[in-house]
Amino acid sequence: MEIIFSKIWQVPFGALSLRLDPLSVLFLTAITILFFCAGIYSMGYLRPYQGKKPLVWHVFCYLFLAMMFGVVVTANNVILFLSAWELMSIATYFLIIFHDETPSVRRAGFLYLMATHCGTFCLFLMFFLMAHTAGSMNFDVMAHASFSPVVAGTIFSLALIGFGVKAGFLPFHIWLPHAHPAAPSHISAVLSGVAIKTGIYGICRVLWIMGVLPEWCGYALLLIGVVSGLMGVLYALGQHELKKLLAYHSIENIGIIAIGLGIGMLGRTYHLAFVSALGFAGALLHVLNHALFKGLLFLGAGSVIQKTHTGDLDRLGGLAKIMPYTSVLFLVGALSICGLPLFNGFISEFVIFYGLFQGLLTLPLQGVFSCGVGIVSLALMGALALACFAKVYGTIFLGKPRRTGDSALFQEKERNRALSPVLREATSKWMIVAMAVLAGLCAWIGLAPRNAVRLTFAGGEYLSRGVLMKEDFEKLMAPLSMIIGTVFIFMAVIAVLVLVRKVLLGKGSMPIQDTWACGFAQVSPKFQYTSSSFARPIVELMKKILMFSRQGGKVVGEFPVQAHMISAVKDASEEGMFRPLYIRFIRLSRKLDERRNKYTQMYLMYIFLFLIFLLIWKLR
Amino acid sequence: MISLTFYILLHWLIVLAGAPLFLGVIPRVKAVISGRRGPSVFQPYYDLARLFQKKTVYSRTTTWLFRAAPIVALASVLMVSLVVPFCVFKAPIQFTGDILLVAYLLALARFFMIIAALDTGYSMEGMGASREAFFSCLSELTLFMNFITLALLAHNISLSRMIGADIPVSWQMAGPALLMAAGSLFVVLLAENCRLPVDDPDTHLELTMIHEVMILEHGGVDLAYMHYAAGIKMFIFAAILVPILLPWQTGNVLQNWAIFCGGMMGLALLVGVVESTMARFRLNRVKHFLLISFALAFFGFIVALWRI
Repeated sequence: MEIIFSKIWQVPFGALSLRLDPLSVLFLTAITILFFCAGIYSMGYLRPYQGKKPLVWHVFCYLFLAMMFGVVVTANNVILFLSAWELMSIATYFLIIFHDETPSVRRAGFLYLMATHCGTFCLFLMFFLMAHTAGSMNFDVMAHASFSPVVAGTIFSLALIGFGVKAGFLPFHIWLPHAHPAAPSHISAVLSGVAIKTGIYGICRVLWIMGVLPEWCGYALLLIGVVSGLMGVLYALGQHELKKLLAYHSIENIGIIAIGLGIGMLGRTYHLAFVSALGFAGALLHVLNHALFKGLLFLGAGSVIQKTHTGDLDRLGGLAKIMPYTSVLFLVGALSICGLPLFNGFISEFVIFYGLFQGLLTLPLQGVFSCGVGIVSLALMGALALACFAKVYGTIFLGKPRRTGDSALFQEKERNRALSPVLREATSKWMIVAMAVLAGLCAWIGLAPRNAVRLTFAGGEYLSRGVLMKEDFEKLMAPLSMIIGTVFIFMAVIAVLVLVRKVLLGKGSMPIQDTWACGFAQVSPKFQYTSSSFARPIVELMKKILMFSRQGGKVVGEFPVQAHMISAVKDASEEGMFRPLYIRFIRLSRKLDERRNKYTQMYLMYIFLFLIFLLIWKLR
Repeated sequence: MISLTFYILLHWLIVLAGAPLFLGVIPRVKAVISGRRGPSVFQPYYDLARLFQKKTVYSRTTTWLFRAAPIVALASVLMVSLVVPFCVFKAPIQFTGDILLVAYLLALARFFMIIAALDTGYSMEGMGASREAFFSCLSELTLFMNFITLALLAHNISLSRMIGADIPVSWQMAGPALLMAAGSLFVVLLAENCRLPVDDPDTHLELTMIHEVMILEHGGVDLAYMHYAAGIKMFIFAAILVPILLPWQTGNVLQNWAIFCGGMMGLALLVGVVESTMARFRLNRVKHFLLISFALAFFGFIVALWRI
């Protein structure tokens, strides 16, 4: 089931040991596909920057990052893993700050660097503890060691923080919504599609090494999943900026993955191999699916931004008319991320739901309750994600352009009406091809999931460390094949309904007029619902949690003239937790700074005192 | 294979024939209560037939999605109807976890209806779309909470089993849980199908509507599809609720069928009575109504847990 490749490496405690097992195969698949597609996309996307930016350096970092991802998910040795991990983080930093002339981009890059190093600090502690207990730096040896519950619990908590920063668990997610919009779109796709998944990979690896974990760990992961998922999608609803919104959706999807892992751990704790395999398999399938559809969405967002030079949802509109290809491909991504049937999101959510329901029926009481909470919050996440993507799709691609400047684009389109759609869209063909490949894969997993599910079920079985029968896989495949059958009937029904409609409407084109608008004569594009107004009922209900703020918008006087209204949703963990912490930290270092400058003698005394301390400690 | 096709077609026949009748009973009940004679119970059939004959007008703003939404909506609810048993007519499609297909196919229909509304580029439709998205989040919560309770009681996660033969036993074992589940499912039925305390299907005051305002720009065949989809959705919800409320099974097929049809008519009557006696909630109170139904469903879950 696993292949280990070892060579001697002249590094203390290091070994050039690589492993290939179902877990790393799965992550390698996701990495390969997404890096390939984002690379193709960048050939079109980076064309305007030719000669203006050091593209060779960018490409070097990109390829280097791909390599380091490969090493991270296959490393079998702690030193190798950590080296690759660090190089990966640094390469990512250089890719994020592509637009380094903008101050906000530099800030976002720095925030990312800081966050990832804080995480790595916890990883150092965690691996030290693990290696110390197991007496080896190699993962396969560690997997045979036994850990006492206290040590296991500590290691798990450190993993949750260290890898959680990378994965974007609440409240360590704050770098994500800054870094994703700052990076160029193909890098955002890679960041969201696979970079944050390395955090999930790390947690999976720790789960695999620690065969037995205390009972609370499963509940903790489930809870983190529920909180990250719900808060992620709520924050996303409150955003106006396309890429920031997508970044918050990544947090939601990481939450869904964590719910799957949590139920897998619960199944493992209570020796229910099938529940465990379902949970892990669902989570891993969602890792793969999220890489596909989130990559697709970020690439689509990049095309929109390249065309209109803005990502502000409240300024866009009606792009389906000038970007027919991008709009269809983005729709595929949106349907997939909402977990709607026909596409891959539904398959992985179904597997996780199946695991949760199976847990509901077989786990002891506290497990039943947690599964109930998991099911309800997963359902709520689905409904909120649907609201959010209906909002995104409706405001970007449908309706009328909200900005007067965009009418030039539309006039150009009118002039080009005679041209074929490809020329009309005028998006580079590389970009469309890359998106089409991802969309095709989304549909493929959605309509023929057997191969992908087998791959992830093997991973789930591997993680659950239980004995599973061949029938168990069929027990999962049976409902899935029923779903696929239903979906094919569904498509047949659609075909029939289209035909019926055609027959009933008869020949001849239908009259085309302006929107009726209840008979109102002068309809302005400004009348349209914006993304903020669409999301307002939900945001209003949650305004305490979302730190929703609204300024202006009051209508004054009998003949009101002009009014401005600004509304924003702030991130509670950024504003309420990390910013105060940061301010306090700055204040403390200022104080230390003052003390430092005074006397050289003080330094000599510090050294002296430390020496004495060391002597006493060693002599004892 | 051939028998499966036959069962599927039979199921669709029941749904397509029954749904307008179900919708026709409600206005009649309302009319009788308010002392009028009211339209015939077959009025929805006439309305649909009229719409099917009409041509449509499309807005310049709209795209192909506006035209696709009615088709997807109708196809989705038709697929959902295959998972729901209609008393003696067993569900042609049943498998472990089919309730998720029910929920997500309805979500697919909703997604397309919302984006079709946003496609028109006018505030009224956007308003309806926004409200639909919001309220369906809350009713989805209640729906899944009830699914959990029913799954726990039937120890199965297939809809046909959850509202099937185990219901009489469950009534004896955890009656209060089922009662609360039924109550909250009735609220979901009202909310998801835009009935009175939540939405008013009769008014044409755009500011207070939800569903009706979303389909304001649709006409002709498209509108007929939309109305049909809405009717079938209501029929399906009723068909899920009736076996929970009337679990009696006699040996006789005809008697069972009579109980089911009577239950459906009774439910239509109940909706009519609720609509005649209640006023529409103010829009910002609707969420409380829906959250109360969620609380009810949650207590049902607790009772079910306690009794098991």
